Amino acid sequence: MDQKKLRGRAWVFEDNVDTDLIYHNKYLAETDPKKMPQFAFEYYPGKEKFAKEVKPGDFVVAGRNFGCGSSREHAVYCLKEGGVPVVLAESFARIYYRNAINNGYPVLFVKGLSQGIKDGKIVDGDELEVDLATGTITNLTQKTSFHGDAVADLENEIMTAGGLIPYLKAQVAQ
Amino acid sequence: MGKTMIEKIIERASGKQVKVGDRVWCHMDLSTARDFGGANCTEQFDKVTDKKGLVWDPDKIAFTFDLQAPAHSEGVAKNQKTIRDFAKRQGISKVFDINWGIGQHVLLENGLVKPGDVILGTDSHMNLLGAVGAFATGVGNTDIVASWFKGTNWFRVPESMKITATGTFGKGVCMRDYLTYLVGRLGADGMSFRSVEFDGPVIENANLAERITLCSMVTEMDGKIGLILPNGEVLDWLRSRAGEEVIERTKMITPDADATYVSHMTVDVSSLEPLASCPDAPDNVKPVREVAGTPINQVHIGSCSNGRFEDIAAAFDILKAGGFTVSPSVRTIITPSTREVMTRCAEAGMIQKFLEAGVVFTNPTCSLCTAEHYGVLPSGDVGVSTTNRNFIGKVGKGSNTYLMSPMSAMAAAVRGVITDPRDLLR
Repeated sequence: MDQKKLRGRAWVFEDNVDTDLIYHNKYLAETDPKKMPQFAFEYYPGKEKFAKEVKPGDFVVAGRNFGCGSSREHAVYCLKEGGVPVVLAESFARIYYRNAINNGYPVLFVKGLSQGIKDGKIVDGDELEVDLATGTITNLTQKTSFHGDAVADLENEIMTAGGLIPYLKAQVAQ
Repeated sequence: MGKTMIEKIIERASGKQVKVGDRVWCHMDLSTARDFGGANCTEQFDKVTDKKGLVWDPDKIAFTFDLQAPAHSEGVAKNQKTIRDFAKRQGISKVFDINWGIGQHVLLENGLVKPGDVILGTDSHMNLLGAVGAFATGVGNTDIVASWFKGTNWFRVPESMKITATGTFGKGVCMRDYLTYLVGRLGADGMSFRSVEFDGPVIENANLAERITLCSMVTEMDGKIGLILPNGEVLDWLRSRAGEEVIERTKMITPDADATYVSHMTVDVSSLEPLASCPDAPDNVKPVREVAGTPINQVHIGSCSNGRFEDIAAAFDILKAGGFTVSPSVRTIITPSTREVMTRCAEAGMIQKFLEAGVVFTNPTCSLCTAEHYGVLPSGDVGVSTTNRNFIGKVGKGSNTYLMSPMSAMAAAVRGVITDPRDLLR
Protein backbone atom coordinates (compact mmCIF):
# COMPACT_ATOMS: atom_id res chain seq x y z
CA MET A 1 0.00 0.00 0.00
CA ASP A 2 1.15 3.52 -0.76
CA GLN A 3 2.58 4.86 2.50
CA LYS A 4 2.70 8.53 1.57
CA LYS A 5 0.35 11.18 2.80
CA LEU A 6 -2.50 11.92 0.45
CA ARG A 7 -4.17 15.29 0.01
CA GLY A 8 -7.47 16.02 -1.65
CA ARG A 9 -10.98 17.39 -1.33
CA ALA A 10 -13.78 15.67 0.54
CA TRP A 11 -17.01 14.51 -1.09
CA VAL A 12 -19.27 13.81 1.86
CA PHE A 13 -22.11 11.28 1.97
CA GLU A 14 -24.53 10.08 4.64
CA ASP A 15 -25.15 6.68 6.28
CA ASN A 16 -26.32 3.61 4.30
CA VAL A 17 -25.18 4.78 0.88
CA ASP A 18 -26.44 1.95 -1.32
CA THR A 19 -24.89 0.63 -4.49
CA ASP A 20 -27.68 2.06 -6.66
CA LEU A 21 -26.69 5.51 -5.46
CA ILE A 22 -23.00 4.80 -6.08
CA TYR A 23 -23.52 3.11 -9.44
CA HIS A 24 -27.11 2.76 -10.64
CA ASN A 25 -28.47 -0.54 -11.94
CA LYS A 26 -29.24 1.22 -15.24
CA TYR A 27 -25.59 0.77 -16.21
CA LEU A 28 -25.00 -2.80 -15.09
CA ALA A 29 -24.46 -4.11 -18.62
CA GLU A 30 -21.10 -2.31 -18.70
CA THR A 31 -18.20 -4.73 -18.30
CA ASP A 32 -15.21 -2.38 -18.80
CA PRO A 33 -14.16 -0.88 -15.42
CA LYS A 34 -12.56 2.11 -17.14
CA LYS A 35 -15.96 3.19 -18.50
CA MET A 36 -17.65 3.08 -15.11
CA PRO A 37 -16.51 6.35 -13.44
CA GLN A 38 -18.76 8.46 -15.70
CA PHE A 39 -21.82 7.03 -13.87
CA ALA A 40 -20.61 7.41 -10.26
CA PHE A 41 -23.21 8.87 -7.87
CA GLU A 42 -25.50 9.92 -10.73
CA TYR A 43 -28.55 9.00 -8.62
CA TYR A 44 -27.34 10.51 -5.32
CA PRO A 45 -29.51 13.59 -4.66
CA GLY A 46 -27.25 16.64 -4.67
CA LYS A 47 -24.22 14.74 -5.94
CA GLU A 48 -25.29 14.28 -9.54
CA LYS A 49 -22.25 16.20 -10.78
CA PHE A 50 -19.74 14.05 -8.90
CA ALA A 51 -18.56 12.20 -12.01
CA LYS A 52 -17.92 15.42 -13.91
CA GLU A 53 -16.36 17.38 -11.09
CA VAL A 54 -14.35 14.81 -9.12
CA LYS A 55 -10.60 15.30 -9.40
CA PRO A 56 -8.07 12.49 -9.07
CA GLY A 57 -7.04 12.46 -5.42
CA ASP A 58 -10.43 13.54 -4.04
CA PHE A 59 -11.81 11.44 -1.18
CA VAL A 60 -15.19 9.82 -0.73
CA VAL A 61 -16.23 10.28 2.91
CA ALA A 62 -19.30 8.53 4.34
CA GLY A 63 -21.07 7.37 7.47
CA ARG A 64 -22.14 3.86 8.39
CA ASN A 65 -22.73 0.87 6.09
CA PHE A 66 -21.25 2.38 2.93
CA GLY A 67 -22.03 0.31 -0.17
CA CYS A 68 -25.03 -1.62 1.12
CA GLY A 69 -27.20 -3.41 -1.41
CA SER A 70 -26.07 -5.13 -4.56
CA SER A 71 -22.95 -7.24 -5.16
CA ARG A 72 -21.99 -5.14 -8.21
CA GLU A 73 -18.24 -4.60 -8.31
CA HIS A 74 -19.01 -1.65 -10.57
CA ALA A 75 -19.51 0.33 -7.34
CA VAL A 76 -15.84 -0.16 -6.46
CA TYR A 77 -14.48 0.26 -10.00
CA CYS A 78 -16.33 3.53 -10.61
CA LEU A 79 -14.46 5.15 -7.71
CA LYS A 80 -11.13 3.38 -8.09
CA GLU A 81 -10.89 4.04 -11.82
CA GLY A 82 -12.18 7.57 -11.23
CA GLY A 83 -9.08 8.40 -9.19
CA VAL A 84 -10.54 8.33 -5.67
CA PRO A 85 -7.53 6.93 -3.75
CA VAL A 86 -9.39 5.68 -0.68
CA VAL A 87 -12.92 5.57 0.74
CA LEU A 88 -13.26 6.78 4.33
CA ALA A 89 -16.35 5.54 6.16
CA GLU A 90 -17.50 4.70 9.65
CA SER A 91 -18.26 1.19 8.36
CA PHE A 92 -18.67 -0.69 5.10
CA ALA A 93 -21.36 -3.11 4.00
CA ARG A 94 -20.10 -6.67 3.82
CA ILE A 95 -20.05 -7.23 0.07
CA TYR A 96 -18.63 -3.79 -0.70
CA TYR A 97 -15.87 -4.47 1.83
CA ARG A 98 -14.99 -7.77 0.12
CA ASN A 99 -15.04 -6.18 -3.33
CA ALA A 100 -12.71 -3.39 -2.17
CA ILE A 101 -10.24 -5.85 -0.57
CA ASN A 102 -10.34 -8.12 -3.60
CA ASN A 103 -9.34 -5.19 -5.80
CA GLY A 104 -6.60 -3.92 -3.51
CA TYR A 105 -8.68 -0.77 -3.10
CA PRO A 106 -7.97 0.91 0.26
CA VAL A 107 -10.80 1.52 2.70
CA LEU A 108 -10.47 3.04 6.16
CA PHE A 109 -12.91 2.37 9.03
CA VAL A 110 -13.18 5.75 10.72
CA LYS A 111 -14.68 5.90 14.22
CA GLY A 112 -17.03 8.80 14.82
CA LEU A 113 -17.25 9.74 11.16
CA SER A 114 -21.02 9.24 10.92
CA GLN A 115 -21.64 11.69 13.79
CA GLY A 116 -18.87 13.98 12.53
CA ILE A 117 -20.65 14.27 9.19
CA LYS A 118 -23.98 14.97 10.91
CA ASP A 119 -22.28 17.65 13.04
CA GLY A 120 -20.68 19.31 10.03
CA LYS A 121 -17.15 18.53 11.15
CA ILE A 122 -16.41 17.41 7.64
CA VAL A 123 -18.28 18.87 4.67
CA ASP A 124 -18.06 18.87 0.90
CA GLY A 125 -14.95 20.59 -0.37
CA ASP A 126 -12.95 20.41 2.87
CA GLU A 127 -9.25 19.85 2.20
CA LEU A 128 -8.13 16.60 3.81
CA GLU A 129 -4.79 15.02 4.47
CA VAL A 130 -4.90 11.24 4.86
CA ASP A 131 -1.95 9.31 6.22
CA LEU A 132 -2.60 5.73 5.16
CA ALA A 133 0.29 4.49 7.32
CA THR A 134 -1.05 5.86 10.60
CA GLY A 135 -4.75 6.17 9.71
CA THR A 136 -4.77 9.84 10.67
CA ILE A 137 -7.20 12.00 8.74
CA THR A 138 -6.65 15.72 9.15
CA ASN A 139 -9.30 18.15 8.01
CA LEU A 140 -7.06 21.07 7.03
CA THR A 141 -10.03 23.35 6.36
CA GLN A 142 -11.76 22.90 9.71
CA LYS A 143 -8.66 21.98 11.77
CA THR A 144 -10.25 18.74 13.00
CA SER A 145 -9.01 15.19 12.81
CA PHE A 146 -10.27 11.64 12.74
CA HIS A 147 -8.63 8.26 13.09
CA GLY A 148 -9.18 5.42 10.68
CA ASP A 149 -8.27 1.75 11.01
CA ALA A 150 -6.98 -0.08 7.99
CA VAL A 151 -8.01 -3.68 7.37
CA ALA A 152 -6.18 -6.46 9.23
CA ASP A 153 -5.21 -10.10 8.92
CA LEU A 154 -5.77 -11.93 5.66
CA GLU A 155 -7.58 -8.93 4.21
CA ASN A 156 -4.42 -6.86 4.63
CA GLU A 157 -2.32 -9.51 2.86
CA ILE A 158 -4.74 -9.57 -0.06
CA MET A 159 -4.87 -5.78 -0.14
CA THR A 160 -1.08 -5.50 -0.03
CA ALA A 161 -0.75 -7.98 -2.90
CA GLY A 162 -2.91 -5.67 -4.98
CA GLY A 163 -6.07 -7.74 -4.77
CA LEU A 164 -7.30 -11.32 -4.72
CA ILE A 165 -6.17 -12.32 -8.22
CA PRO A 166 -2.56 -11.05 -7.78
CA TYR A 167 -2.56 -12.61 -4.29
CA LEU A 168 -3.50 -16.03 -5.70
CA LYS A 169 -1.05 -15.71 -8.59
CA ALA A 170 1.75 -14.93 -6.10
CA GLN A 171 0.77 -18.02 -4.07
CA VAL A 172 1.02 -20.18 -7.18
CA ALA A 173 4.39 -18.62 -8.08
CA GLN A 174 5.75 -19.54 -4.64
CA MET B 1 -17.41 -25.70 23.23
CA GLY B 2 -20.39 -26.25 20.93
CA LYS B 3 -20.55 -25.07 17.35
CA THR B 4 -23.08 -22.94 15.52
CA MET B 5 -24.47 -23.86 12.09
CA ILE B 6 -22.10 -21.57 10.21
CA GLU B 7 -19.09 -22.89 12.14
CA LYS B 8 -20.04 -26.46 11.20
CA ILE B 9 -20.53 -25.48 7.55
CA ILE B 10 -17.18 -23.70 7.38
CA GLU B 11 -15.41 -26.60 9.12
CA ARG B 12 -16.65 -29.00 6.47
CA ALA B 13 -15.71 -26.64 3.64
CA SER B 14 -12.27 -25.74 5.00
CA GLY B 15 -11.35 -29.07 6.56
CA LYS B 16 -10.28 -27.20 9.70
CA GLN B 17 -11.47 -26.63 13.24
CA VAL B 18 -12.54 -22.99 13.32
CA LYS B 19 -13.56 -20.30 15.77
CA VAL B 20 -15.11 -16.87 15.32
CA GLY B 21 -12.73 -14.41 13.67
CA ASP B 22 -10.62 -17.03 11.86
CA ARG B 23 -9.91 -16.45 8.18
CA VAL B 24 -10.08 -19.69 6.24
CA TRP B 25 -10.11 -20.96 2.67
CA CYS B 26 -13.22 -22.92 1.83
CA HIS B 27 -14.00 -25.33 -1.00
CA MET B 28 -16.94 -24.25 -3.13
CA ASP B 29 -19.77 -26.63 -3.86
CA LEU B 30 -21.05 -24.28 -6.54
CA SER B 31 -19.84 -21.00 -8.01
CA THR B 32 -22.46 -19.23 -10.08
CA ALA B 33 -23.07 -16.05 -12.01
CA ARG B 34 -26.07 -14.36 -13.59
CA ASP B 35 -26.67 -12.49 -16.78
CA PHE B 36 -25.79 -9.46 -14.64
CA GLY B 37 -22.18 -9.80 -13.51
CA GLY B 38 -21.69 -13.01 -15.46
CA ALA B 39 -20.03 -11.41 -18.46
CA ASN B 40 -17.87 -9.35 -16.10
CA CYS B 41 -16.71 -12.69 -14.64
CA THR B 42 -16.06 -14.49 -17.93
CA GLU B 43 -14.24 -11.49 -19.46
CA GLN B 44 -12.13 -11.06 -16.32
CA PHE B 45 -11.31 -14.80 -16.18
CA ASP B 46 -10.24 -14.73 -19.83
CA LYS B 47 -8.19 -11.59 -19.27
CA VAL B 48 -6.23 -12.80 -16.24
CA THR B 49 -5.57 -16.20 -17.84
CA ASP B 50 -4.79 -14.85 -21.32
CA LYS B 51 -7.85 -16.73 -22.54
CA LYS B 52 -6.00 -20.02 -21.90
CA GLY B 53 -7.39 -20.77 -18.46
CA LEU B 54 -9.68 -23.66 -17.66
CA VAL B 55 -12.13 -23.51 -14.79
CA TRP B 56 -11.45 -25.91 -11.92
CA ASP B 57 -14.60 -27.97 -12.36
CA PRO B 58 -17.17 -27.22 -15.09
CA ASP B 59 -19.78 -29.27 -13.20
CA LYS B 60 -19.60 -26.94 -10.19
CA ILE B 61 -20.27 -23.77 -12.16
CA ALA B 62 -23.72 -22.59 -13.16
CA PHE B 63 -25.08 -19.57 -15.00
CA THR B 64 -28.59 -18.22 -14.50
CA PHE B 65 -30.21 -15.62 -16.71
CA ASP B 66 -32.68 -13.77 -14.55
CA LEU B 67 -32.07 -10.06 -14.07
CA GLN B 68 -32.89 -9.03 -17.59
CA ALA B 69 -34.45 -12.05 -19.23
CA PRO B 70 -35.31 -11.95 -22.07
CA ALA B 71 -32.63 -9.41 -22.97
CA HIS B 72 -34.04 -5.91 -23.21
CA SER B 73 -31.05 -4.18 -24.80
CA GLU B 74 -28.13 -4.85 -27.11
CA GLY B 75 -25.71 -4.60 -24.17
CA VAL B 76 -27.53 -7.27 -22.16
CA ALA B 77 -27.99 -9.47 -25.23
CA LYS B 78 -24.25 -9.27 -25.87
CA ASN B 79 -23.45 -10.16 -22.24
CA GLN B 80 -25.77 -13.15 -22.36
CA LYS B 81 -24.07 -14.35 -25.54
CA THR B 82 -20.64 -13.85 -23.95
CA ILE B 83 -21.72 -16.16 -21.12
CA ARG B 84 -23.18 -18.81 -23.44
CA ASP B 85 -19.97 -18.83 -25.51
CA PHE B 86 -17.76 -19.08 -22.42
CA ALA B 87 -19.85 -21.94 -21.02
CA LYS B 88 -19.59 -23.83 -24.30
CA ARG B 89 -15.83 -23.32 -24.48
CA GLN B 90 -15.34 -24.43 -20.86
CA GLY B 91 -17.72 -27.38 -21.00
CA ILE B 92 -20.12 -25.87 -18.49
CA SER B 93 -23.52 -27.48 -19.05
CA LYS B 94 -25.50 -25.80 -16.27
CA VAL B 95 -26.68 -22.79 -18.22
CA PHE B 96 -30.18 -21.83 -17.16
CA ASP B 97 -31.13 -19.53 -20.00
CA ILE B 98 -33.87 -16.91 -20.21
CA ASN B 99 -36.68 -19.47 -19.92
CA TRP B 100 -35.89 -20.62 -16.36
CA GLY B 101 -36.33 -17.83 -13.82
CA ILE B 102 -34.61 -16.39 -10.77
CA GLY B 103 -31.22 -17.97 -10.13
CA GLN B 104 -31.29 -19.20 -6.53
CA HIS B 105 -34.81 -20.54 -6.97
CA VAL B 106 -33.86 -22.37 -10.17
CA LEU B 107 -30.76 -23.90 -8.55
CA LEU B 108 -32.88 -25.05 -5.62
CA GLU B 109 -35.59 -26.59 -7.81
CA ASN B 110 -32.94 -28.39 -9.86
CA GLY B 111 -31.47 -30.13 -6.82
CA LEU B 112 -28.18 -28.23 -6.93
CA VAL B 113 -28.36 -26.95 -3.36
CA LYS B 114 -27.82 -29.06 -0.24
CA PRO B 115 -27.70 -28.13 3.44
CA GLY B 116 -24.11 -27.31 4.38
CA ASP B 117 -23.08 -26.35 0.84
CA VAL B 118 -20.89 -23.29 0.25
CA ILE B 119 -22.11 -21.41 -2.79
CA LEU B 120 -21.10 -18.15 -4.47
CA GLY B 121 -23.14 -16.05 -6.87
CA THR B 122 -23.27 -12.57 -8.36
CA ASP B 123 -26.57 -11.92 -6.61
CA SER B 124 -26.53 -10.12 -3.28
CA HIS B 125 -29.61 -12.16 -2.33
CA MET B 126 -27.81 -15.45 -2.98
CA ASN B 127 -27.92 -15.93 0.78
CA LEU B 128 -31.63 -16.73 0.69
CA LEU B 129 -30.42 -20.30 0.10
CA GLY B 130 -29.84 -20.31 3.85
CA ALA B 131 -33.54 -21.23 3.78
CA VAL B 132 -32.36 -24.84 3.28
CA GLY B 133 -29.24 -24.57 5.44
CA ALA B 134 -26.76 -23.74 2.67
CA PHE B 135 -24.14 -21.02 3.12
CA ALA B 136 -24.57 -19.06 -0.08
CA THR B 137 -23.34 -15.54 -0.50
CA GLY B 138 -23.46 -12.78 -3.05
CA VAL B 139 -20.08 -11.55 -4.23
CA GLY B 140 -18.52 -9.44 -6.94
CA ASN B 141 -16.95 -10.75 -10.12
CA THR B 142 -13.41 -10.94 -8.68
CA ASP B 143 -14.55 -13.39 -5.99
CA ILE B 144 -16.22 -15.56 -8.61
CA VAL B 145 -13.20 -15.50 -10.93
CA ALA B 146 -10.84 -16.32 -8.05
CA SER B 147 -13.01 -19.30 -7.10
CA TRP B 148 -12.88 -20.64 -10.65
CA PHE B 149 -9.10 -21.22 -10.39
CA LYS B 150 -9.08 -23.90 -7.70
CA GLY B 151 -12.60 -23.95 -6.37
CA THR B 152 -11.72 -22.10 -3.18
CA ASN B 153 -12.24 -18.69 -1.61
CA TRP B 154 -11.60 -16.91 1.68
CA PHE B 155 -14.05 -16.28 4.50
CA ARG B 156 -14.01 -14.88 7.99
CA VAL B 157 -15.84 -17.10 10.47
CA PRO B 158 -18.67 -14.83 11.62
CA GLU B 159 -20.33 -14.35 14.98
CA SER B 160 -23.80 -15.90 15.14
CA MET B 161 -27.11 -14.44 16.29
CA LYS B 162 -30.25 -16.42 17.00
CA ILE B 163 -33.77 -15.17 16.32
CA THR B 164 -36.67 -17.29 17.52
CA ALA B 165 -40.26 -16.89 16.31
CA THR B 166 -43.20 -18.05 18.42
CA GLY B 167 -46.97 -17.70 18.16
CA THR B 168 -49.23 -17.72 15.11
CA PHE B 169 -49.73 -15.19 12.35
CA GLY B 170 -53.07 -13.39 12.49
CA LYS B 171 -55.33 -13.12 9.46
CA GLY B 172 -53.74 -10.96 6.75
CA VAL B 173 -50.30 -11.22 8.36
CA CYS B 174 -47.53 -13.45 7.04
CA MET B 175 -43.81 -14.25 7.02
CA ARG B 176 -43.04 -11.13 4.98
CA ASP B 177 -44.46 -9.01 7.79
CA TYR B 178 -42.24 -10.82 10.29
CA LEU B 179 -39.27 -10.14 8.01
CA THR B 180 -40.23 -6.48 7.62
CA TYR B 181 -40.56 -6.24 11.38
CA LEU B 182 -37.01 -7.57 11.81
CA VAL B 183 -35.60 -5.19 9.19
CA GLY B 184 -37.26 -2.26 10.94
CA ARG B 185 -36.18 -3.34 14.39
CA LEU B 186 -32.57 -4.25 13.56
CA GLY B 187 -31.91 -1.61 10.90
CA ALA B 188 -29.78 -1.52 7.76
CA ASP B 189 -26.65 -2.76 9.52
CA GLY B 190 -28.24 -4.59 12.44
CA MET B 191 -26.81 -7.97 11.44
CA SER B 192 -23.41 -6.53 10.54
CA PHE B 193 -21.38 -9.34 8.92
CA ARG B 194 -23.06 -11.96 11.13
CA SER B 195 -24.64 -15.35 10.56
CA VAL B 196 -28.20 -15.61 11.85
CA GLU B 197 -30.04 -18.76 12.83
CA PHE B 198 -33.82 -18.51 12.49
CA ASP B 199 -35.72 -20.99 14.63
CA GLY B 200 -38.81 -21.50 16.76
CA PRO B 201 -42.21 -23.11 16.14
CA VAL B 202 -43.17 -20.59 13.44
CA ILE B 203 -40.10 -21.54 11.41
CA GLU B 204 -40.39 -25.27 12.03
CA ASN B 205 -43.92 -25.15 10.62
CA ALA B 206 -43.09 -22.81 7.74
CA ASN B 207 -43.19 -23.99 4.13
CA LEU B 208 -40.26 -23.50 1.74
CA ALA B 209 -41.70 -20.29 0.27
CA GLU B 210 -41.96 -18.72 3.72
CA ARG B 211 -38.42 -19.78 4.61
CA ILE B 212 -37.11 -18.27 1.40
CA THR B 213 -38.91 -15.01 2.18
CA LEU B 214 -37.46 -14.83 5.68
CA CYS B 215 -33.89 -15.42 4.49
CA SER B 216 -34.17 -13.10 1.50
CA MET B 217 -33.49 -9.80 3.24
CA VAL B 218 -30.61 -10.67 5.54
CA THR B 219 -28.49 -8.58 3.18
CA GLU B 220 -30.76 -5.59 3.89
CA MET B 221 -29.58 -5.90 7.50
CA ASP B 222 -25.94 -6.43 6.38
CA GLY B 223 -25.93 -10.03 7.54
CA LYS B 224 -23.76 -12.69 5.96
CA ILE B 225 -26.31 -15.50 5.96
CA GLY B 226 -29.61 -16.42 7.58
CA LEU B 227 -29.81 -20.17 8.21
CA ILE B 228 -32.75 -22.47 8.79
CA LEU B 229 -32.32 -26.15 9.65
CA PRO B 230 -34.40 -28.21 7.17
CA ASN B 231 -37.17 -30.34 8.69
CA GLY B 232 -40.54 -31.86 7.89
CA GLU B 233 -42.00 -31.29 4.44
CA VAL B 234 -39.16 -28.99 3.43
CA LEU B 235 -36.63 -31.74 4.16
CA ASP B 236 -38.76 -34.26 2.20
CA TRP B 237 -38.97 -31.86 -0.75
CA LEU B 238 -35.23 -31.22 -0.61
CA ARG B 239 -34.51 -34.94 -0.54
CA SER B 240 -36.72 -35.46 -3.60
CA ARG B 241 -34.72 -32.79 -5.48
CA ALA B 242 -31.16 -33.07 -4.18
CA GLY B 243 -30.97 -36.70 -3.08
CA GLU B 244 -30.52 -38.74 0.10
CA GLU B 245 -27.36 -36.89 1.12
CA VAL B 246 -29.44 -34.01 2.43
CA ILE B 247 -30.38 -36.12 5.47
CA GLU B 248 -26.75 -36.60 6.52
CA ARG B 249 -25.98 -32.98 5.71
CA THR B 250 -28.85 -31.74 7.86
CA LYS B 251 -27.51 -33.73 10.79
CA MET B 252 -24.04 -32.36 10.12
CA ILE B 253 -25.10 -28.70 10.33
CA THR B 254 -27.39 -29.06 13.35
CA PRO B 255 -26.13 -26.53 15.91
CA ASP B 256 -24.89 -27.80 19.25
CA ALA B 257 -26.99 -27.00 22.31
CA ASP B 258 -24.02 -25.21 23.91
CA ALA B 259 -23.06 -23.17 20.82
CA THR B 260 -22.24 -19.50 21.42
CA TYR B 261 -24.43 -16.68 20.11
CA VAL B 262 -23.72 -12.97 20.44
CA SER B 263 -27.44 -12.33 20.85
CA HIS B 264 -30.72 -14.20 21.08
CA MET B 265 -34.01 -12.48 20.41
CA THR B 266 -37.51 -13.96 20.53
CA VAL B 267 -40.48 -12.51 18.68
CA ASP B 268 -44.12 -13.48 19.17
CA VAL B 269 -45.54 -13.12 15.67
CA SER B 270 -49.12 -13.18 17.01
CA SER B 271 -48.74 -9.51 17.87
CA LEU B 272 -47.63 -8.46 14.36
CA GLU B 273 -49.78 -6.58 11.88
CA PRO B 274 -49.27 -5.93 8.14
CA LEU B 275 -46.13 -3.82 7.76
CA ALA B 276 -44.54 -1.76 4.98
CA SER B 277 -41.01 -0.60 4.23
CA CYS B 278 -41.71 3.00 3.31
CA PRO B 279 -39.68 5.20 0.93
CA ASP B 280 -36.75 5.22 0.57
CA ALA B 281 -35.25 2.49 2.75
CA PRO B 282 -36.14 -1.11 3.69
CA ASP B 283 -35.72 -0.27 7.38
CA ASN B 284 -38.16 2.67 7.26
CA VAL B 285 -40.95 0.46 8.59
CA LYS B 286 -44.52 1.49 9.45
CA PRO B 287 -47.80 -0.40 9.86
CA VAL B 288 -49.69 -0.56 6.56
CA ARG B 289 -52.70 1.06 8.25
CA GLU B 290 -50.60 4.16 8.99
CA VAL B 291 -49.92 4.73 5.29
CA ALA B 292 -53.32 3.40 4.12
CA GLY B 293 -55.05 5.67 1.63
CA THR B 294 -51.81 6.68 -0.10
CA PRO B 295 -52.57 6.77 -3.85
CA ILE B 296 -50.40 4.46 -5.92
CA ASN B 297 -49.70 3.98 -9.62
CA GLN B 298 -48.29 0.46 -9.79
CA VAL B 299 -48.22 -2.82 -7.88
CA HIS B 300 -45.63 -5.51 -8.45
CA ILE B 301 -45.79 -9.00 -6.94
CA GLY B 302 -42.79 -11.25 -7.44
CA SER B 303 -38.99 -11.28 -6.93
CA CYS B 304 -36.67 -13.67 -5.09
CA SER B 305 -38.36 -12.58 -1.85
CA ASN B 306 -42.01 -13.25 -2.72
CA GLY B 307 -42.34 -14.88 -6.13
CA ARG B 308 -43.22 -18.44 -5.08
CA PHE B 309 -46.50 -20.22 -5.81
CA GLU B 310 -47.70 -19.71 -2.22
CA ASP B 311 -47.01 -15.95 -2.49
CA ILE B 312 -49.00 -15.65 -5.71
CA ALA B 313 -51.78 -17.82 -4.25
CA ALA B 314 -51.96 -15.49 -1.22
CA ALA B 315 -52.34 -12.54 -3.57
CA PHE B 316 -54.98 -14.50 -5.50
CA ASP B 317 -57.04 -14.96 -2.33
CA ILE B 318 -57.02 -11.20 -1.73
CA LEU B 319 -58.01 -10.57 -5.34
CA LYS B 320 -60.87 -13.03 -4.87
CA ALA B 321 -61.97 -11.26 -1.68
CA GLY B 322 -61.88 -8.02 -3.66
CA GLY B 323 -64.20 -9.36 -6.38
CA PHE B 324 -61.59 -10.40 -8.94
CA THR B 325 -60.87 -6.91 -10.27
CA VAL B 326 -57.86 -4.68 -9.82
CA SER B 327 -58.26 -0.92 -9.80
CA PRO B 328 -58.13 0.50 -13.35
CA SER B 329 -55.95 3.34 -12.04
CA VAL B 330 -53.21 0.92 -11.02
CA ARG B 331 -50.85 -1.06 -13.25
CA THR B 332 -50.61 -4.48 -11.59
CA ILE B 333 -47.79 -6.82 -12.53
CA ILE B 334 -47.23 -10.36 -11.25
CA THR B 335 -43.95 -12.13 -11.94
CA PRO B 336 -43.46 -15.74 -10.82
CA SER B 337 -39.96 -16.61 -9.65
CA THR B 338 -39.50 -19.66 -11.90
CA ARG B 339 -41.00 -21.57 -14.79
CA GLU B 340 -42.03 -24.30 -12.34
CA VAL B 341 -43.92 -21.74 -10.25
CA MET B 342 -45.55 -20.32 -13.37
CA THR B 343 -46.63 -23.78 -14.47
CA ARG B 344 -48.23 -24.43 -11.09
CA CYS B 345 -50.05 -21.09 -11.29
CA ALA B 346 -51.37 -22.09 -14.72
CA GLU B 347 -52.44 -25.55 -13.52
CA ALA B 348 -54.26 -23.99 -10.57
CA GLY B 349 -56.22 -21.81 -12.98
CA MET B 350 -54.93 -18.62 -11.41
CA ILE B 351 -53.29 -17.06 -14.43
CA GLN B 352 -56.51 -16.80 -16.42
CA LYS B 353 -58.29 -15.21 -13.45
CA PHE B 354 -55.45 -12.73 -12.99
CA LEU B 355 -55.55 -11.79 -16.67
CA GLU B 356 -59.32 -11.34 -16.57
CA ALA B 357 -58.93 -9.13 -13.49
CA GLY B 358 -56.61 -6.81 -15.42
CA VAL B 359 -53.25 -8.06 -14.16
CA VAL B 360 -50.13 -8.25 -16.34
CA PHE B 361 -48.74 -11.74 -15.69
CA THR B 362 -45.15 -11.99 -16.91
CA ASN B 363 -42.52 -14.62 -17.57
CA PRO B 364 -40.32 -15.63 -14.63
CA THR B 365 -37.56 -13.05 -14.08
CA CYS B 366 -36.28 -10.55 -11.51
CA SER B 367 -38.25 -7.80 -13.30
CA LEU B 368 -38.70 -4.81 -11.00
CA CYS B 369 -35.44 -5.20 -9.13
CA THR B 370 -33.86 -2.85 -11.64
CA ALA B 371 -34.89 0.17 -13.64
CA GLU B 372 -33.73 -1.69 -16.72
CA HIS B 373 -36.65 -4.00 -17.12
CA TYR B 374 -40.36 -3.74 -17.70
CA GLY B 375 -42.33 -1.88 -15.09
CA VAL B 376 -39.90 1.01 -14.61
CA LEU B 377 -41.56 3.81 -12.66
CA PRO B 378 -41.59 7.33 -14.10
CA SER B 379 -40.64 10.27 -11.91
CA GLY B 380 -43.43 11.15 -9.51
CA ASP B 381 -45.05 7.72 -9.53
CA VAL B 382 -45.56 5.66 -6.40
CA GLY B 383 -45.17 1.90 -6.50
CA VAL B 384 -46.01 -0.95 -4.17
CA SER B 385 -43.78 -3.99 -4.49
CA THR B 386 -42.91 -7.30 -2.85
CA THR B 387 -39.26 -6.90 -3.87
CA ASN B 388 -36.61 -6.28 -1.25
CA ARG B 389 -35.17 -2.84 -1.94
CA ASN B 390 -36.76 0.58 -2.25
CA PHE B 391 -33.63 2.69 -2.37
CA ILE B 392 -33.82 6.19 -3.85
CA GLY B 393 -34.49 5.97 -7.58
CA LYS B 394 -33.83 2.23 -7.74
CA VAL B 395 -36.66 1.48 -10.17
CA GLY B 396 -36.79 4.94 -11.72
CA LYS B 397 -35.41 8.36 -10.84
CA GLY B 398 -37.91 10.41 -8.87
CA SER B 399 -40.20 7.47 -8.06
CA ASN B 400 -40.97 6.04 -4.63
CA THR B 401 -41.70 2.48 -3.59
CA TYR B 402 -43.40 0.85 -0.61
CA LEU B 403 -42.35 -2.74 0.06
CA MET B 404 -44.89 -5.11 1.58
CA SER B 405 -46.33 -8.62 1.55
CA PRO B 406 -48.16 -10.15 -1.45
CA MET B 407 -51.44 -9.83 0.46
CA SER B 408 -50.91 -6.15 1.26
CA ALA B 409 -49.70 -5.48 -2.30
CA MET B 410 -52.77 -7.06 -3.86
CA ALA B 411 -55.04 -5.19 -1.44
CA ALA B 412 -53.48 -1.98 -2.80
CA ALA B 413 -54.04 -3.17 -6.36
CA VAL B 414 -57.69 -3.87 -5.68
CA ARG B 415 -58.44 -0.56 -3.97
CA GLY B 416 -56.02 1.69 -5.90
CA VAL B 417 -54.61 3.05 -2.66
CA ILE B 418 -52.46 1.46 0.03
CA THR B 419 -54.83 -0.79 1.97
CA ASP B 420 -54.58 -2.98 5.03
CA PRO B 421 -55.38 -6.44 3.61
CA ARG B 422 -57.44 -7.22 6.70
CA ASP B 423 -59.98 -4.69 5.41
CA LEU B 424 -60.65 -7.03 2.47
CA LEU B 425 -60.70 -10.20 4.54
CA ARG B 426 -63.48 -9.09 6.87
